[in-house]
Amino acid sequence: MKLNATTEMIPVTWPELGQIHTFAPADQTQGYLEMITNLENWLKEITGFTGVSLQPNSGAQGEYAGLMTIRAYHESRNDGHRTVSLIPASAHGTNPASAVMAGMEVVVVKSDAEGKIDVADLKAKAAQYKDKLSCLMVTYPSTHGVFEESIIEICETIHANGGLVYMDGANMNAQVGLTSPANIGADVCHLNLHKTFCIPHGGGGPGMGPICVNDKLKPFLPGHAVVKTGGDKAINAISAAPYGSASILIISYAYIAMMGGEGLTNATKMAIFNANYIKERLAQHFKILYTGANGRCAHEMIVDCRDFKKAGIEVEDIAKRLMDYGFHAPTVSFPVAGTLMIEPTESEPKAEMDRFIEALIEIRNEIREVEEGKADKENNVLKHAPHTAAVITADEWTRPYSRQKAAYPLAFVKDAKFWPSVSRVDNAYGDRNLVCSCLPLDEYEKAEA
Amino acid sequence: MSYINPSYSEKFESRHNAPDQKQIEEMLKVVKAKSVDEVIDQTIPAGIRLKKKLNLPAAQSEYEFLNSFKKLISKNKIYKSYIGTGYYNCITPGVILRNILENPGWYTAYTPYQAEIAQGRMEALINYQTMVIDLTGMQIANASLLDEATAAAEAMHLLYASRKANKKNANTLFVDENTFPQVIDLLKTRSEPIGVKLQVGNLDKLDITNLDLFAVYLQNPDNNGAVKDYTTFIESAHEKEVFVVMGVDLMSLVQIKSPGEMGADVVVGNSQRFGVPMGFGGPHAAFFATKDEFKRQIPGRIIGVSIDASGNPGYRMALQTREQHIRREKATSNICTAQVLLSVMASMYAVYHGPEGLKKIAGRIHGLAQLLENSLAKLGVKQVNAHYFDTLKLAVADKNSIKQKAEAAGINFRYFNDNHIGISIDETTSVADINTILSVFGSATADGKPETVKLPGSLIRTSPFLTHPVFSTHHSEHEMLRYIKKLENKDLSMVHSMI
Repeated sequence: MKLNATTEMIPVTWPELGQIHTFAPADQTQGYLEMITNLENWLKEITGFTGVSLQPNSGAQGEYAGLMTIRAYHESRNDGHRTVSLIPASAHGTNPASAVMAGMEVVVVKSDAEGKIDVADLKAKAAQYKDKLSCLMVTYPSTHGVFEESIIEICETIHANGGLVYMDGANMNAQVGLTSPANIGADVCHLNLHKTFCIPHGGGGPGMGPICVNDKLKPFLPGHAVVKTGGDKAINAISAAPYGSASILIISYAYIAMMGGEGLTNATKMAIFNANYIKERLAQHFKILYTGANGRCAHEMIVDCRDFKKAGIEVEDIAKRLMDYGFHAPTVSFPVAGTLMIEPTESEPKAEMDRFIEALIEIRNEIREVEEGKADKENNVLKHAPHTAAVITADEWTRPYSRQKAAYPLAFVKDAKFWPSVSRVDNAYGDRNLVCSCLPLDEYEKAEA
Repeated sequence: MSYINPSYSEKFESRHNAPDQKQIEEMLKVVKAKSVDEVIDQTIPAGIRLKKKLNLPAAQSEYEFLNSFKKLISKNKIYKSYIGTGYYNCITPGVILRNILENPGWYTAYTPYQAEIAQGRMEALINYQTMVIDLTGMQIANASLLDEATAAAEAMHLLYASRKANKKNANTLFVDENTFPQVIDLLKTRSEPIGVKLQVGNLDKLDITNLDLFAVYLQNPDNNGAVKDYTTFIESAHEKEVFVVMGVDLMSLVQIKSPGEMGADVVVGNSQRFGVPMGFGGPHAAFFATKDEFKRQIPGRIIGVSIDASGNPGYRMALQTREQHIRREKATSNICTAQVLLSVMASMYAVYHGPEGLKKIAGRIHGLAQLLENSLAKLGVKQVNAHYFDTLKLAVADKNSIKQKAEAAGINFRYFNDNHIGISIDETTSVADINTILSVFGSATADGKPETVKLPGSLIRTSPFLTHPVFSTHHSEHEMLRYIKKLENKDLSMVHSMI
C-alpha cells in the first residue's frame, strides 16, 4: 500500500466538504462540482478514455457498473443476447461474482504454464461464443504481476468477435503515465482510488471504484434518481449517492494535483523499480513465480512458498511469523494458493524494504532448520507464531527455541517491537461456533464448555 | 552549489516517491541495470508504451495545494440542511474526529486479513455489529456495506436465493413507493439482470396472495417520514411465505419498536448519523441485519469471535468461505471493500454516548420535531405524517416562495414534486434553529414544551438496547480517549511498517 500523505488527508475533515448534504442544490455545491469535473478530466487523461462515473464505491462496484454499461451497449444495438463474459482463470474472484450479478454467463479462459492468458484458448472460446460474446474481463498487468505482450492481440480478438474489453484496474499503479487502458485496447476500466490514487484503506474501507469508458459506453454511464448524472442513455444508479463517496475524492485530487504528470509517471516507474529490487534480492532465497520476457516483474511479484509444504510449513506460517518481525504479511494465496504476493509501491524507501527482505530471508533460514531436522516439525518458531508478550514473558517456557529468537529475531526488531495482542486465531473453531456480537468473556467461556 | 533560489518550490513528488538518488544507485547495482528507465524498458513491452507525456496541470507543493484548494472548496455554501432522505447533520465527537478519522493509526490499516494484528478494529467492528443487532432487534449483522441502497439490493439477492419451497418460481419483489428514491433507483439496476421483477407501488394496495411475490421492501420511517407498526402486515406476509425487508433509520430505533420485534426478515440502513459527516454523499457505513437462519448467506464481512492458540478469545473475519475469492461466480455477492473506518466511527459514537445518551439525543430530536409541528400548526401549516420520529411533511400552498425565503435564511428543506415540504430534524438542531425555520413560514416563535414521545403505545420502543458494558463504560473523555488508543495499539498499520 502506498503513502496516504497527510496533506491529502487534511481537507477531508473541513466543514466545506463534510457538512454538505448529498442532495444539496447545485448552486451550493460549486466547489465540489469543480473538483469533481477536474478530477474526472484528469482520470480521463490518465486512462485515455472520454467518460467517467464516480458513483461506484468500491472496485467490485466499479466492475459491476462497467459490466452494466457493456450490457446496455449491447442491448442498444439489439444484441441483448450477448451475455457471455470471458474471464481468465487468474482473475480476481470479484470478476466472476460481478459478471453473474450483471446477468452474464461466465466462461473461464485457461492460463498457460507461465501463468499468462492462454491466447489459443482465448481465441478458441471467443470464436466459439462469437454470437453470444459480451466481453472479456482482464486485469493488466496481470494478477501474476506481468505485462503480457499479447494484450493488444487479446483485445483485438475480443473486438473482432463482437465483444468489449473490461479492464480491471487493480494493477493500474503499474500503468499510470507509461501506458493506459485505452492504449492497450480496453473499452472500460475501473480505478481503485484506494490503491492507485492514495485513498487510505481505512482498515478495510472506504474505497472508491470509479469507471472510465470510451465513446461507445459513455452514453450509458449511470444516472441517479435525484441528481442528474451519467450519459443520455444512462443506466440506473449504481450507488445511493450521485458521486459516490464524494468527500474522499479530495485525497486522489490532492495526490494528482501535487504530483503532476511527471511525478505520477515517476511513481509508476519507482513502483516497478522497487518491486524489481525486492525480487532480485529475494530470488536468491525463494522461488519467484512468473516474470516477463526479460526476467522483470511489474509492480508486484509472487513468492512461491509451496515447496516448504514438504517440511510442513504453510504460507500461513510465514505470514504469522512476519508479525514477530513487525510486518504485516503481503497478499497471501492470491492469485496462486501457497504464495505471497509482494507489492511494495513507490512510497517505500530502501531501508524499509531492506528490513522486510531481511525478515523474509531470516524466516527462510528458520524454515531450513525445520527442513534439515534441526527444528521440530510442529514445535517450532513458525508454527507457534505470532508470539505475544504474555507468551514470551510467561513464568514457564518450554519451547525448544529461545525467547530472544521468538520475539527479537533480528536486531532491528528491538528498536521498535510491535507485539501482536493474541496468539494465532483458530478460524475453523470460530466458524463452527459462530459468535458475532460482543459477549462478556465469562459467557464466552461457558459457551465453549 | 548555491541554495539561493527565489523560485524554489518543494516538490511533493520527492516525499511520495521514497527512494532518493543515492538509494536508487545502490538498488541499480542489485537489479543490474544502468538506470530506472532501463528497468522500465525491460518490463513494459514497447508496443504498448504511451507516445506522449500525461497532460496534467503543473505539480503544486503541499503548501500551494492547500491554499488553492481552500479557495476552490470555499465555493461550497454550507447551508443548514433539513433535507433528510437518508442523510442527516450530526456531531462527530471531537475525541472520535481527532483520534480516529484524522488518525493514520486507524485510517492506514489494511483489511483485517491478518487477525492477530487487527484485534483493535475488529473489536470496534464487533461493537458495531452488536449495536446494529440491538437497535434493529435482529439476530446477526455484518460490518458493513457500502450504502443503504446497495444494502437493500443485497437483501433482495439474499432473499431471492432463499425463496421458500412453494415460492421457488416466484420472481416479484414489491417495493413500497414510499421508499427513498435512490433506493428504488438502485433496486431497479440490480433486479433486472438477475431476473427479479420489481413492482413499485402502494403497500396498502398490495395483493399479498400474489403467487409470484417472494419479498416486500418497505421503509420505516418512510420516504415521507411517516412511522408505522408493520407487525400485522409482516405476519400476513409470512403466512404467504413472503419475506419482508425493512429499511430503517438507526437513530429512530432508539424510540420506535424495532423491526425485529415487528418480524422483519432483513433490516438495512445507513449508520451515517452516528457521528459520520454527510460529505456530499459519503463515505458512510451501511448495515445489514437478519435472522440466524440466513447467517451463512449474509453478504459482506462479518467479524466473529474465536479462540487463539493460547485459549484466549480472538476476533477474526468469520465465514470467509462465503466470499468471492473462494466461491467466485457462486459467491453470495461481489462485495469486497467494506466501510470499516466509518463503522468504527459509528460504533464509537454508540460507545461514547451509550444507551442513555442516545435516548437523550433521540429524545431531543423528536421533541424539537414536535415543537416545530405544534408551532407550525398555530401558523395554520398542515403536517401530514400521522406519526413521525424526526421528519415532518408539510402541505403548503406555494412551495417556491417558501424555498426562496428558506434559502435567503441559509437553510435547505426537502421539496417534493407536489406542494409538499419535508423537514428532518437532527442532532445539531436547536430551539433557535426551530425559530429560524418558523420565521420562513411566518413570524411565530416556538412555544410549548413537548415532554412525551408522541407515538402510539404499540410503536414505542420498550426493549433494552446496548446493554453490553462496553456501551456504558467509556463516557468521560479520558476513558473514551484511552479506549480508542487501546484498540489502535493492537493494530499494525502503515504507521509501523510497509504493508
